[in-house]
Amino acid sequence: MSIDLAVIKKLGGDHLDLSFWEGARRGELLLHRCGICGKHYWPASRCVEHGGTDMAWVPASGRGTVHTYTIMHHAYAPRMAPHVPYCVAVLKLEEGPFFHTNIVDCPMEGIHVGLEVAVRFEEDEVSGLTLPVFAPVA
Amino acid sequence: MRGRFAIAALGLTEQGIRLGRSDRDLRGDAVERALREAGLERDAIDGYIHCWGEREDLRYLGLSPNFSWALSCGGATPTAGILAAIGMIEAGQAEMVACVYGIAPTSGYIPGVPDLKSIGAHSYGYPSLYGMMGAASAHALHARRHIHLFGTTSEQLGAVAVTQRAYAAVRPGTTGYGKPITLADHQGSPMIVDPFRRLDCCRDTDGGVAILVCKADRARQLSPNPVYILGAGMGQNIANWHKGVPYDHHDNIAPAKARAFAQAGITLADVDMAQLYDPFTISVIMQLEAYGFAPEGHGGPFVAEGGNGPDGPIPTNTAGGQLSGFYATGFTPIIEAIVQLRGQAGAGQLKKADIALCSGHGLNAGVQNSWNHATLLLGNQP
Repeated sequence: MSIDLAVIKKLGGDHLDLSFWEGARRGELLLHRCGICGKHYWPASRCVEHGGTDMAWVPASGRGTVHTYTIMHHAYAPRMAPHVPYCVAVLKLEEGPFFHTNIVDCPMEGIHVGLEVAVRFEEDEVSGLTLPVFAPVA
Repeated sequence: MRGRFAIAALGLTEQGIRLGRSDRDLRGDAVERALREAGLERDAIDGYIHCWGEREDLRYLGLSPNFSWALSCGGATPTAGILAAIGMIEAGQAEMVACVYGIAPTSGYIPGVPDLKSIGAHSYGYPSLYGMMGAASAHALHARRHIHLFGTTSEQLGAVAVTQRAYAAVRPGTTGYGKPITLADHQGSPMIVDPFRRLDCCRDTDGGVAILVCKADRARQLSPNPVYILGAGMGQNIANWHKGVPYDHHDNIAPAKARAFAQAGITLADVDMAQLYDPFTISVIMQLEAYGFAPEGHGGPFVAEGGNGPDGPIPTNTAGGQLSGFYATGFTPIIEAIVQLRGQAGAGQLKKADIALCSGHGLNAGVQNSWNHATLLLGNQP
């Protein structure tokens, strides 16, 4: 089943982001990379130096560190209701870009800035998307 | 720029929770009040800027200007509106521009987004997939970095809430009037979006405001106490995103500050009060640092020692701000600056109140926290 563009648009993305979500469905974390300077971006972007002439989706290592985070004490999204309190973190991925995600398989008190994490994938029945989430590196 | 344009009149409605009035009623009321204060007929308004993203307004207000714009950049909109008004006056398109705001979220009226229940509950694109909803979560990411980098504490966040409530407690018309709080109250309030407790967050309120912007000589004819626009500037946090430090900075304040102070020809030492956009306590601490009132990383101790209080080096949010006054987007700081500069703050009047620094930020793009920051310098002399 292909990714529903309407879902992506509702989330602020567009057709350029489809490859990312198709990758997630295959269990691959992709980043948007400028072929001229090698800088990685997420979500779909034009390179601030070189524009959009050589942007392509490439596989990422799937590892990063917690750059900042918050712990939500209310279920602001239906998917999260069973998980309150839950953590929304912004990671700094190994390749450089920031990435919002949930930290899973980790007690809330174990989460801190600098925590090393690795990707795994969860199905989201609400959006129909496969979401990259992250757990501490063992 | 300095002193060539002014705010000739302020129309301010009641501000509060569950007023039971529609947003259009509040905007209409605010316009009427501004016209009455300036002694003008409604046909004097030849430019209309609705500081919110909605198209239909004029017929409800009985206005017939040369242009009507909807401007939307969140809490930076009022300053953007003033700058747009100046631009249109300078371009010969209008002489008296009304910048108007009015919403009633607690009475079921958020213009243009009827399904939205609270303006604090905006969803931010992809992060909403992970349960990140609301302005508190967006600001919490900055607060966490500040705590990590500088050891800022929940008690220091609480000091902002307590000091601003003390200002509001003696200011009629604010939500905090007659209701002081203690640090223990702050520490006892429930954790909502860590590290924010309930008393770290402002609440939605209903209310309307209108200001009339014109050339300074016209304002002097209409008002015994015009408020002069000394300088203004804008900055966009996307620059910090590209540099990898969007969360270490509250906003991209440096370029906004530099342009505003250069236009005004003043330094920080000339500023008598800071009226900062403060939806959350961390906003005050990080802005006091970014503007230079406190050294980087020392905003927490600065507020804990009362630096933002009435006797501190920079009285800040002197009517309680958004946390304890009312939320009228970026108008909350501008309204209090006008009141203080005119000497109309009653028991809360500052001894020296000639130049005010106002700020606002907004229009978060979502993933990048790439909101606009606005600096506005106002004075009671040109």
